[in-house]
Amino acid sequence: MGVEETLKKYSWILPLIQKADRATRAVIMKNFRQKKTNFFPEGEFNADVENLINCMLCPNMCRFDCGTLVASQNESMSPAYKARIGYYLTMGIIDPADSANKEFINLMYKCTNEENCKIWCPFDFSVVSLLETVRDDLNDEGLMPDYCKQQISKLNKTNTIEDYNIFETYKEKGIENIESDGNDDVFYYIGCQSMKFPEVVKANIEILKKAGIKFSTNLDKKVCCGGPAFNIREMETAKKFARKNKELIESTGAKIIISDCPGCILTLTERYEKAGIKIEKEIVHIVQYFRKLIDEGKLRFEKSIPEEFRKITIHDPCLIARNLKDTESIRMILNKIPDLEIIEPMYNKEYVHCCGWSGTAHWADKDLAIREAQNRINELKETGANIFISACPLCELGLAYGIDETEKEKYNILDISELLIKAL
Amino acid sequence: MDFKEFELIYKDNRCEIKDKQKIESKLKEIVGENNISTNDVDILAYSKDSTLIGMNWTIQGKIAGLPDFITWPETVEQISEILKLANKEKIPIIPFGEGSGVVGGAIAIYGGIIIDMKKFNKILKINDKNLTVTAQTGINGMNLERILNSKGYTTGHIPQSLYISSLGGWIAHRAAGQFSTKYGKIEDIVLGMEVVLPQGEIINFKTIARASTGPQLDKLFIGGEGTLGIVTKATLKIWPYPAKRTLISYVFPSIEDSFEAIRQILREQIYPAVVRIYDQFETMRHFPDIDKAKDKVMVVFICEGNSKLVDLEESITREKSEKNSGVDCGEHPVEHWLESRFRITETSSMPPYKIVFDTIEVASLWENASDIYHSVLKSMKQLQGVIMITAHVSHFYPNGVGIYFSFGGVPTKEQSDLEFYQKCWNTVVKAVLDAGGSIAHHHGIGINRAHWMESEWGTSMNTLKEIKKLLDPNDILNPGKVYVDTWKGGEK
Ligand SMILES: Cc1cc2nc3c(=O)[nH]c(=O)nc-3n(C[C@H](O)[C@H](O)[C@H](O)COP(=O)(O)OP(=O)(O)OC[C@H]3O[C@@H](n4cnc5c(N)ncnc54)[C@H](O)[C@@H]3O)c2cc1C
Ligand code: SF4
Repeated sequence: MGVEETLKKYSWILPLIQKADRATRAVIMKNFRQKKTNFFPEGEFNADVENLINCMLCPNMCRFDCGTLVASQNESMSPAYKARIGYYLTMGIIDPADSANKEFINLMYKCTNEENCKIWCPFDFSVVSLLETVRDDLNDEGLMPDYCKQQISKLNKTNTIEDYNIFETYKEKGIENIESDGNDDVFYYIGCQSMKFPEVVKANIEILKKAGIKFSTNLDKKVCCGGPAFNIREMETAKKFARKNKELIESTGAKIIISDCPGCILTLTERYEKAGIKIEKEIVHIVQYFRKLIDEGKLRFEKSIPEEFRKITIHDPCLIARNLKDTESIRMILNKIPDLEIIEPMYNKEYVHCCGWSGTAHWADKDLAIREAQNRINELKETGANIFISACPLCELGLAYGIDETEKEKYNILDISELLIKAL
Repeated sequence: MDFKEFELIYKDNRCEIKDKQKIESKLKEIVGENNISTNDVDILAYSKDSTLIGMNWTIQGKIAGLPDFITWPETVEQISEILKLANKEKIPIIPFGEGSGVVGGAIAIYGGIIIDMKKFNKILKINDKNLTVTAQTGINGMNLERILNSKGYTTGHIPQSLYISSLGGWIAHRAAGQFSTKYGKIEDIVLGMEVVLPQGEIINFKTIARASTGPQLDKLFIGGEGTLGIVTKATLKIWPYPAKRTLISYVFPSIEDSFEAIRQILREQIYPAVVRIYDQFETMRHFPDIDKAKDKVMVVFICEGNSKLVDLEESITREKSEKNSGVDCGEHPVEHWLESRFRITETSSMPPYKIVFDTIEVASLWENASDIYHSVLKSMKQLQGVIMITAHVSHFYPNGVGIYFSFGGVPTKEQSDLEFYQKCWNTVVKAVLDAGGSIAHHHGIGINRAHWMESEWGTSMNTLKEIKKLLDPNDILNPGKVYVDTWKGGEK
């Protein structure tokens, strides 16, 4: 709620205060004056205390749609409680430096960044954006949890969040590397998690080639976008990766940057910009680009695909649906494929439920993330489809955790590119 | 953590658990390792419900009650076993739904074992022919409703807390939804139940449209507030999703005119799903942009269902409103209500200024409604520190109404916020009783109103206490709520 809206909303209370007796008015005025002394920490802090307070005192209006709460069925996972703990850590009511309070610190990381909360929140909050401000203070105090430190250390050592530089594996995975000549139309920005799905990357490269696009991948120089460091709020590392990526992207000369990972897009755009490192390029998800190519008549998916791939449901990646606010590109493309039966899950488009694998939750509590993945898989299974289509490597990783070993044969999680290639 | 950092509000008469480890391992045997916790982070999460004074405590680093164990049973047998253990060891049990209760019902005031019902969250059956849904009672209201909506049905039970409350909590507190004038309150909607009694016995009430099979014992558990049994399963009425919805609003010169219009509408057996009267203050608060509403009483109506019926309801609603000096205000105020009804920000905005804010809903026959409204306003205005006392009326019957008061104020220098809060509550409740009303319409009794139960029930309270004693001889199920004088120092 903006200031103007807030003032309007509470304007009715002013005449009532004016009408009160002197002693009451004096108490109210004192309380208004002393709000900060009473309820804000002393000294310098990064935490968004004002809004942590708003959230912790909310009756948890978004609780029914919070993936971690639904997965755990535990009050401690509720959004308002996370804000409450964030507030208590900030105020020192719970001492963050006391090792006995580690679990309270961990709670600040048990969020999947899915932002369902934002749909229902009367303040338009996404809980993670509040928790990130608490993480900033924890980092300043040297209290970053070990599982976060490990990710930062991997980033600095391998340029990815693996124990090795996953981009270097392209040859053994049979992925073609296309070096930039500094004059590309498009730069295909492959996410480091996408490298775990070589068939997806290969399909995307083939589709782009079929459409006659002049593009590069620069896999020899590729590094992670730095998204994990932004999640952890280790801003030094985050900015280092932002600078590296800006340089790499700008060196290609490409006008359009496309990525197969919605997390990379969020990082390359909004997050870099907030960190003061703006890339002046059009950066879109690959499905948005494919849609454009279809509209321009450069791509046609006219071949009938094998029967076992025809009954599909869509798992919208939350970052495409809620951050890029685009739920139509995926559907528009899929609708072009002949003979497909698309069955929508009950929670779809901007109301999609998370795969469990975004944000920091899967590091802080892997079991929790798996349960969230299982919940989502159950919702997808309810459609009766056997093919689950997504467009995000993290969704594909998370959802895979959600499928029971005994059902791995029956259900198939595919990136949209893997289906498209069959119809090309 | 021993929680010494936090001031504990309910700290007297805590149950003494000598061998906590023994109890913990027994609970583990019953519900499994993963369904019990004594971790600080979980214990603190279950230290409050949504009682509004609790929001002031939260920001001040105080906690209401401190449970010893949190459990998440997954079967009715596990609940039964926990209750048997609690009886043997004399440990309080506190059923917990979604914690949206506003009278302290789910607070572990003496410590003990929380039974969180969240894992009882499945819809078991939807029967189109009978128009029923059977569900486990830990299911969140919105999750139940949106699944029903996706299949073309509604329960019609849409409390403002739909997003934050459970079916079990609705049954426990005899809840009422915003569309209740048409669809009824929860007691009209529940057709059958499974209940675990305080000593662990599991009983079932047959699902039936209506029967003449002796006293309706099941009704004892609707409003039982988790003191007489734990409801584990319920069958509810459902309705096809309404085909038509008409939005109507009128402003009236006074609350009496609005009462009279609505009384006449219901007398014709016309039941708009939503009827909401806002008194002058609340009209100013919620509809500041509507010129016609200045200094007036706004009433919004929603008629819904079969379109022919809706048209008839609309015409009679308009006729009676206009006959009672109502002026048509169009659809906009109703749209505004529909858009904003779940956008609750008040609970967050008051505590940073140490304002004590709460709502108290009471019930009355038509003949007392106006008296109750005015006498509550009058007595609250005399109370030092009170800066606002307003009301809306949103539950109607051919015979009477539920009036919903909101108050806000600040304690004087000598008072704690709890003392001021209790004084406000007692002032409202006393005025209501003196004017012939009933002390609660749909939020229940919990801690806040327990000490008024004798005044409300008279000698019949003895019978209720006997029933409690019979079912729960060790007083293990949600002690300190409903039957006893819980508030210390609060004057009546
Ligand atoms: C913003 C807001 C708006 C509200 N609007 C409304 C409204 O429109 N209408 C209305 O009626 N109420 C309303 N309430 C009050 C509250 O939502 C209801 O009382 C609700 O029924 C409580 O449900 P819960 O699941 O949150 O219960 P909890 O708060 O968890 O528990 C409430 C009581 O029920 C008991 N209980 C819980 N589950 C069970 C079970 N399965 N078996 C036996 N006992 C059980 C608990 O022990 C406790 O005594 C509102 C509250 C808030 C905060
Ligand atoms: S995110 Fe918004 S809706 Fe959710 S608990 Fe916080 S304030 Fe309430």
